[in-house]
Amino acid sequence: MLVFTRKVDEAIVIGDGIEITVLRVGRDSVRIGVTAAPNVSVHRREVYDQIRAANAAAASAPDAIPGLVARLRRGVTPPLGTPKS
Amino acid sequence: MNQSAVDGVVTFAEGLPGFEGHHQFMLLASSDMQPFTVMRGMADGGPSFVAIDPRMVDRGYQPTLDRVDLARLSADERDTLLWLAIVAAREDGSATANLRAPVVINPGTMRGIQVIAAESQYRTDHPLPLG
Repeated sequence: MLVFTRKVDEAIVIGDGIEITVLRVGRDSVRIGVTAAPNVSVHRREVYDQIRAANAAAASAPDAIPGLVARLRRGVTPPLGTPKS
Repeated sequence: MNQSAVDGVVTFAEGLPGFEGHHQFMLLASSDMQPFTVMRGMADGGPSFVAIDPRMVDRGYQPTLDRVDLARLSADERDTLLWLAIVAAREDGSATANLRAPVVINPGTMRGIQVIAAESQYRTDHPLPLG
């Protein structure tokens, strides 16, 4: 891992067009600004990990899908809320 | 938020979190699967998902899409988009829907994203009302 020492308002640049700036330093947290092109995803690590875990728990092998749908359909309490148009 | 029907192959340029290498999913919706929609991975042995209209899980569902998300879908505010919440079945027979990170598809471009908002009032494991 590359390690830098930065002061408030100092930045580092990654590749072509990603800039990370230290905005404020508190006692136990640092406020950071990220500038990047719209097609570059920037997420908090814990949010991304939470969604990754949810996807992993939901993923099935294609062969298992028909049985899963049948099982879920048997369990659906009719009527499952009708969407508003 | 109008729901639109979609059939065909949707491209997720960034994949889905945890499955970043899987970009194409076949969307399957038919009366014998109602109210569920299947996202079948196009890769051999790749992941597939069961999903549901999030408004069937929470009638007041109010998701937000920012400009960056719209750009990723090549969509604008007037486009009718398809919203899906991925369903996870549990060992105990219960199931949950991911309202925190919905899948959004633009039928006009057949592009899809999974929305990862910085903040959300919704859970990744919202209980699905099963009997």
